[in-house]
Amino acid sequence: MKTLAEELFKEFREYSVSEFFRKNAAMLGYTGKIRSLTTVVHEGVTNAIDAAEEAGILPEITVAIRRVDEDPEHLKVVIEDNASGIPEEFIPHVFGKMLAGTKLHRNMQSRGQQGIGIVGATLFAQMTSGKPTRVVTSAGDGEIVCADVMIDVDKNEGRIMNGKKLKGDWRGTKVELELKEVRYERSRYGPYNYLRMTAIANPHTRITFIEPDGKLTVFERATDSVPERPRPMLPHPWGVTADDLLALAARTKSRTVAGLLISELSRMTKRKVEEVGRLSGVNLKKKPSELTWEDAEKIVSAFKQIKFMAPPTSGLRPIGKEDIEKGLRQMLNPEFVYAVTRQPKVYRGGIPFIVEAGIAYGGGAGRKEGGEEVEAEGLDLIRFANRAPLVFDQGGCAITLAAKSIDWRRYGVDIATAPLTLFVNVVSAYVPYTSAGKQSIADEPEVFKEIREAIMDVARELRRYLYRKIRARERQQRAKIFEKYLPIIARKAASLAGVQVPDIEPLLKKVAGVEDEGRKNGP
Amino acid sequence: MKAGEKLQGFGKEVIGDILKARPPRLKIPSRSTSNIRYDEKNRYFVLGDKYGVRSAASMKQVKKFAQTMCVADFCRELIANDKFATLREMYYTAEGWETGPFRDQGESDAIVEDLEATFMLKREDLGLMPEEDGAAVYGELTLKEEGVTIDATKAGRAGYTIPPTIDDVEFLKCKAERVIAVETMGMYHRLVQEEAWKKFDALIVGLKGQAARATRRFLKRVHEELNLPVYLFCDGDPFGFHIAMVVISGSAKLAHINHELAVPDAEFIGVTASDIKNYDLPTDKLRELDIARLKQLQRDPRYNTPFWQSEIKLMLELGKKAEQQAFAKYGLDYVVKEYLPEKLGLKG
Repeated sequence: MKTLAEELFKEFREYSVSEFFRKNAAMLGYTGKIRSLTTVVHEGVTNAIDAAEEAGILPEITVAIRRVDEDPEHLKVVIEDNASGIPEEFIPHVFGKMLAGTKLHRNMQSRGQQGIGIVGATLFAQMTSGKPTRVVTSAGDGEIVCADVMIDVDKNEGRIMNGKKLKGDWRGTKVELELKEVRYERSRYGPYNYLRMTAIANPHTRITFIEPDGKLTVFERATDSVPERPRPMLPHPWGVTADDLLALAARTKSRTVAGLLISELSRMTKRKVEEVGRLSGVNLKKKPSELTWEDAEKIVSAFKQIKFMAPPTSGLRPIGKEDIEKGLRQMLNPEFVYAVTRQPKVYRGGIPFIVEAGIAYGGGAGRKEGGEEVEAEGLDLIRFANRAPLVFDQGGCAITLAAKSIDWRRYGVDIATAPLTLFVNVVSAYVPYTSAGKQSIADEPEVFKEIREAIMDVARELRRYLYRKIRARERQQRAKIFEKYLPIIARKAASLAGVQVPDIEPLLKKVAGVEDEGRKNGP
Repeated sequence: MKAGEKLQGFGKEVIGDILKARPPRLKIPSRSTSNIRYDEKNRYFVLGDKYGVRSAASMKQVKKFAQTMCVADFCRELIANDKFATLREMYYTAEGWETGPFRDQGESDAIVEDLEATFMLKREDLGLMPEEDGAAVYGELTLKEEGVTIDATKAGRAGYTIPPTIDDVEFLKCKAERVIAVETMGMYHRLVQEEAWKKFDALIVGLKGQAARATRRFLKRVHEELNLPVYLFCDGDPFGFHIAMVVISGSAKLAHINHELAVPDAEFIGVTASDIKNYDLPTDKLRELDIARLKQLQRDPRYNTPFWQSEIKLMLELGKKAEQQAFAKYGLDYVVKEYLPEKLGLKG
């Protein structure tokens, strides 16, 4: 006779990560027909740009979306890059295994991070169309690998079907995903806008986009230098938890806990370690494998009592003022552009981040619901995290909240009508996303404050520009008025006095440029 | 100084500023009610010392400055050619000026007033005149206008018409000993018909309602040059009172030339509220407008005398008003036979 518990646990078994996500596709951004398509494009393009940058290559990306048959919701997405290719044996891991990758433990800023993205796309393709994802890749060595990848959901593994090798002179990776239950639209949430935003934040990237109707758009690059690669950064003691510490202990090559602290954390010196030992009462000479949860908790609470230098920010790679301005200029051809990259700050005690903001006024700037040609209809807020566009979930995002918290009238604009594009990029090894969909930044107080200040920085510059513009127009109007009436005054005065008409040029020069006398005396 | 010289001086000043690259300015006495005060000593309204500056360096004012120059030069030409133009004629002439037409005649009239106030000139001095003639005068006065000698008893039944250019008219001979100015032309013709001018040795003047500048100027001149006392006979209502008061103390709007218009010694003889009562005149009820106006007058410094205060108070109490023709109740000649002799102290 089985116990009740045995009976109840009969069905108990391990789920694979892939299976978990198959059931929770929404968490990855696969919700709704338009959003799902944009998410696939996002995952592919993110990987492509990251790969090219890793290899120090100027990214050249082509995205094509094609109809497969009569069904408008049955599409094929092709994303091609010019990076260094993927070694054959890694293909099933990259495209078929969740939480595999090189990025998670590096404590380094990158677009992707968790090794979920492109696998999610493969999985979504497989779930909706039943078709494998085709990967074509080459390191440029004359050999091209073609492979169809299917995911074995139970085992969290990729499986290659129809693998073959071709000869050819080409370098890069091309991914073809066949999707159903998606819809192409040229809206704010569709791939077109996504790629346009990507081009703004990545002015070194050239993106070619082919829409289902065959229309081809090239988002040309605005700069020719590949951004310097971010460097991995060791975690700051204020940013680690007891759990992190135990994880580090399990991985480290150090032989003592003291050694672990110095080699795995930033801003740790021998003196600081001694201080940690004294304050925590933990024997730091013990082996890392002997570190207990209690020890870890004591060490973490000792960290909080010690003064450390601010976390290193050398690993962060903002776009930079100049490139943001170039990107905005290239894409929007505005009459005014200004951008700022703020100094690094820290949130939650130890996680460094940088906020960048850019503003564009006039030209193609501003929200354009009715397409590129219509008049602007007010503020267009474009959000980025580590250069990747955030298109969805704007409502709760710290960037949206910060932009809304500003009294724009003080800066001389009505955001309901002004042709204004506001750009914000949050850079961090750990961007505080609100969910795994990574479309919205959490309202961390330090992050919110910093975003707000960055926006105010650029808004101030805009105000200065608009003010100058108004002044210049006023000066012109002034000059015109005086040029009309001063000669009349001179002629009539001469007629009254019975003398020759005097030269008015010196007076005109003086009066047309100076402050309005009426206003100077006025309130 | 003559008007022409003043304008020439103004032109020279502006030229001087231009040569020094200094924006020309014109200080114009303010004619807003806040800058008008009642001069107790002279018993008429005068301008205070507030003024506005019209600057050619102001974007908002430079056009008006140019228009002012145009008006000034237009006047210079009139004076030089010894001609007169009406304000309306000038308004139409401006259509051809470089500054463009005025929005309405009010705008051009205001600039004329600016020049009057600034240079302490009457518009007649500037060669401009209002459209309307002054009113009529009948009586034993001989005057010379444009070389023509006129006897005001031989100028037809309607009498001699006071021209806008009354200052150019010369008084030659006068047998009259007083002036009786009446509000309505109806009363004027009654007095002429009843030969009141002969009976009272008076010049009869018809004001035609609110007195025109020329009429007021005429009254001022006969009072000062011929030493005639002036008596005012108007309707017995707040508007009649005020027609008399403007002749006596001047109007707020023309405060800058009241010293040439006001006749502080002129005397209001009726119709008073007491007359309504004493003569038991036919009346109309006071309208709301009349009551409001009477209350306004009560607070007006010009009416701050025991006579006026008690008359206004009485009229408010009666709640009634009467026209000057109401005396016809007792016969057409009643005013001449009874009322006026009593009021003028000429009775038996």
